[in-house]
Amino acid sequence: MIAVQMAVTVAILCNCLFISQQRLVRSHSPSGTDEPNIFVIANQWVVEPGDLPSRVTEDLVALRSLTEVVDAYATNSYPLSNSGTNDGISLQPNQKHSTTTAALYYGDEHALHTLGLTLVAGRNFNADEIIDQGENGQPQPAGVIVTRTLADKLYPRGNALGRTLFMTSESATTRIVGIVERLQIPWVGGGPSFDAILDNSVLVPYRPIWQSSYYVVRARSGQLPATMKAAQKQLTDISRERVIEKVQPLLDARIEAHRNNRGFAVFLSVVCAVLLVVTAFGIVGLTSYWVAQRRRQIGIRRALGATRSGIVRYFQTENLLIAAAAAATGAALANALNLLMVGSFEMARLPIGYTVAGAVAVLLLGQLATLWPALRAASIPPAIAARGA
Amino acid sequence: MLKMTHLSKAYRTEVVETYALRDFSIHVREGEFVAVTGPSGSGKTTFLTIAGLLEEFSGGEYQLDGANVRGLNDNQRSRLRNEKIGFIFQAFNLISDLNVQDNIDVPLRYRGFNGAERRRRIQESLERVGLSARMRHYPAELSGGQQQRVAIARALAGTPRLLLADEPTGNLDTQMARGVMELIEELHRDGATIVMVTHDPELAVRAQREVHIVDGQVVDLGAQPRLVDRAQLHL
Amino acid sequence: MFNYYFRLALRSLRRNVVLTVLMVAVIGAGIGASMTVLTIYRAMDGDPIPQKSDRLFVPQIDNWGPDMEERPANSDGLPEQLSYTDASALIAAHTGRQTAMYSTVSALTPPNPQLLPFTVHVRATYADFFAMFQVPFKYGGPWNTTDDHSHSAVAVITRELNDKVFGGVNSVGRTLRLGGDDYRVSGVLDDWKPTPRFFDLADNRFGKTEDVLLPFTRAIDKQMTVWGNDFCNGDVGTGWAGYLRSNCVWIQFWVELPNASEVASYRAFLNSYAAEQRRNGRFHWAPRTQLRNERQWLSYEQVVPPPVHVMAIVSFSFLFVCLVNAMGLMLAKMLGRAADIGVRRALGATRRAILAQCLIEAGVIGIAGGLVGLLLTGLGLIGVRSLFTQQFIDLAHLDLSDLGICMLLAVVSAIIAGLYPTWRATQMQPALQLKAQ
Repeated sequence: MIAVQMAVTVAILCNCLFISQQRLVRSHSPSGTDEPNIFVIANQWVVEPGDLPSRVTEDLVALRSLTEVVDAYATNSYPLSNSGTNDGISLQPNQKHSTTTAALYYGDEHALHTLGLTLVAGRNFNADEIIDQGENGQPQPAGVIVTRTLADKLYPRGNALGRTLFMTSESATTRIVGIVERLQIPWVGGGPSFDAILDNSVLVPYRPIWQSSYYVVRARSGQLPATMKAAQKQLTDISRERVIEKVQPLLDARIEAHRNNRGFAVFLSVVCAVLLVVTAFGIVGLTSYWVAQRRRQIGIRRALGATRSGIVRYFQTENLLIAAAAAATGAALANALNLLMVGSFEMARLPIGYTVAGAVAVLLLGQLATLWPALRAASIPPAIAARGA
Repeated sequence: MLKMTHLSKAYRTEVVETYALRDFSIHVREGEFVAVTGPSGSGKTTFLTIAGLLEEFSGGEYQLDGANVRGLNDNQRSRLRNEKIGFIFQAFNLISDLNVQDNIDVPLRYRGFNGAERRRRIQESLERVGLSARMRHYPAELSGGQQQRVAIARALAGTPRLLLADEPTGNLDTQMARGVMELIEELHRDGATIVMVTHDPELAVRAQREVHIVDGQVVDLGAQPRLVDRAQLHL
Repeated sequence: MFNYYFRLALRSLRRNVVLTVLMVAVIGAGIGASMTVLTIYRAMDGDPIPQKSDRLFVPQIDNWGPDMEERPANSDGLPEQLSYTDASALIAAHTGRQTAMYSTVSALTPPNPQLLPFTVHVRATYADFFAMFQVPFKYGGPWNTTDDHSHSAVAVITRELNDKVFGGVNSVGRTLRLGGDDYRVSGVLDDWKPTPRFFDLADNRFGKTEDVLLPFTRAIDKQMTVWGNDFCNGDVGTGWAGYLRSNCVWIQFWVELPNASEVASYRAFLNSYAAEQRRNGRFHWAPRTQLRNERQWLSYEQVVPPPVHVMAIVSFSFLFVCLVNAMGLMLAKMLGRAADIGVRRALGATRRAILAQCLIEAGVIGIAGGLVGLLLTGLGLIGVRSLFTQQFIDLAHLDLSDLGICMLLAVVSAIIAGLYPTWRATQMQPALQLKAQ
């Protein structure tokens, strides 16, 4: 029974440790932007679409004119929002299967500065490259900015700058005019399929002229709350024919976006911790029971010359053998479980390090748990052999 | 009542076969009070467990109250035990969790009597052993002699055909032992069939006759005059 | 006899409090963890409209063909929504109850000029929606088919919106200003929160219904942009007209088919429609369609997210370990009571009687463990509500059926854990126990 408990514990422990660690790492992964100083305004107009281009321009000019604001731009989505647009990216026109997938962030020439992205090659957009984009329909941009990860994926030998790429629909050519260090896709709460493209982003030179869109604003360092208030006031001063659905700092968005990741990790950790306690307790209990059953035998051994530490070692060794068998079974079980989860539940493969770590941990737990009953066994007086149990 | 013919009981280990009972025969008639004696290791305890249907035997025949016991399955033997035999053990074997009333109740429950019947029998058997006042007490609260008398009440409650006693006074001091033996003799006078296993010759003497076992076989002393001088035993 | 064994069990458990507490605690912990996850799982996996499951259907049409590779991750690669062209065609061709719909957002300007406009979520749908999904009304009712045809500016609002905008009164006939236009309120919904939101699983599976419902035809007229999930393949064209003509799929489509022959004929119709599209050159591939009823749709869509499955595996494995533990404890208890069991056997108990007594004792432990587990589940759900996002919060509540399942699970688990110890108890030879005295 001890073996069974230990084996299952190993299986669960390995997988939980791995998944928790994965999720926690993901929840700390950087978006690549100046998060502490950026906030997003969700703006919805109540006016006719015809008015929109001038309204949006007016808004952006006003926002940028605020002293507390470093820069601002209008967009379709932003990092840590868990919503946005993605598209297949190909190297050839009308390629049957895309080379990879990337998130599309719309932005004008102010986007780079607002997000605080680092340009590692090429240039930013020029003002004349920016296309006003209506609700539907996508005129293909001539040039886009991509992340370094995406550039490497498309052109592994480097030199992606100036090269072409194709997005699903068109046969129209698009060139990479700039490469930024890092910009995470908006979907951070998903599974391994999103993990694979986590840093694949494309900055598209569109200004969204939509009824509903986001304004991303970067405040001066340390002035976030004041800037948020000022920005909101500025917009409502300009016009009340709008709804400001929310004004959210990126750091808050991060917490929301990763909530489920963290929650999942916490849940797994808690259950694992309790599992270890229950297993340890089970080992203590069952071993104590055996000690009690074999009182006489132990007394006889002591009478025949076994030392106290000899008795302890005897029980520790016994546990070690059981634990070793259990650990081996558990490791196999852990991998089997992992395969099941990879197949059915979108999990990643378990690295061997975790299997080993889990097995060793439970082994040590077993040894530790055996210690107390073993010490009790060692204190059984040899006189029992003579007196009877 | 209890008839064993050429009974044998063998214990097999990997290498050796030992016989606890060998070609053992005994016939106890209804209403008899028989003592089964013998030195320690002679097989009298085995005889008792077989007689009480607690163990199976290897060879020979055993008839209890006219019914052949060989080949009965566990359920049938349990029922037979429950209906026909009353046990009195050396260590009383009362269930410590339960009070006196519930202890006596145990075999009656397995018998299937309804509530009223069970209560009546418990009442009667407690009166028989003189412990009606202690119905609600727990074994731990009773003296050794009282516990044994409760055990006897338990044995009687099902109106068994046969009482099997194993060293009934073994765990009692002299005074209590006397009380219990007087009760047993009284039961015999009232018509009970009693087989008592004991190593104490003093107790054996109080039975009608004695069956002596040595090394698994009977040495029947029957109703012959005692070879042991009673007076000598008191020295 | 049951009562007897029950009382015996209680007494025996009281006698050795420490052991009892340990057994109950261990089982309680295992039940607590597994029930926490099971509650959520059941909430997610449930069928919110079982009485109509087999009459509500979702048609799917492959309007992308085999050489489009950006396929949804479901089992057959068919799009889960329809394009505008296909949806319109389907609506026009069928006469029974059906609805095409999508979700969008709009700005609502409250009648009180002091209040600022605010965003509302809107569902553009057909009048049949309400009857098909048995949506309850507090005041008034849905618009009718004529309104659908005439693209009327009429709307149904939720109770919460009604409370917020009109102070909760019967607002039927009043005007609602949405996106700068006036809409007549035809009805106010009573509380309606199907879990999951089976009619639109593309987005926000466990959330609330949209605040405003209005005719699909009207929304198309006003060019209300799609807010839900939208998948496009290939050329989209420009502007709203281009979008409607494209093969983007963004419309949820449901049809009510009351009996098997209707189902068969609809299936045939779908296939002939797809074949026709091939003939007139719109599709260049063999027609592929599918028709699933609501229950099949839920399982096809795999509503329960993978992390919840993983949590279920982990927590039930934990339960298993707890049961093994409990089994060890029960075994120790049985062996410690060998003498008592021996006495009972001597007094005439059959093996079955001992079995019954032991299993009933295990059952009693199960009941106690179940109660402890229930408490722990409550705590666990509180934990879940504080750790996870809103959609989990609404799911993490115990209802009566969860309660029942918790107790059942506890009793059954305890009995299973008790099987081996009980078997050992019944195998005890009474003679051996008594000889050992």
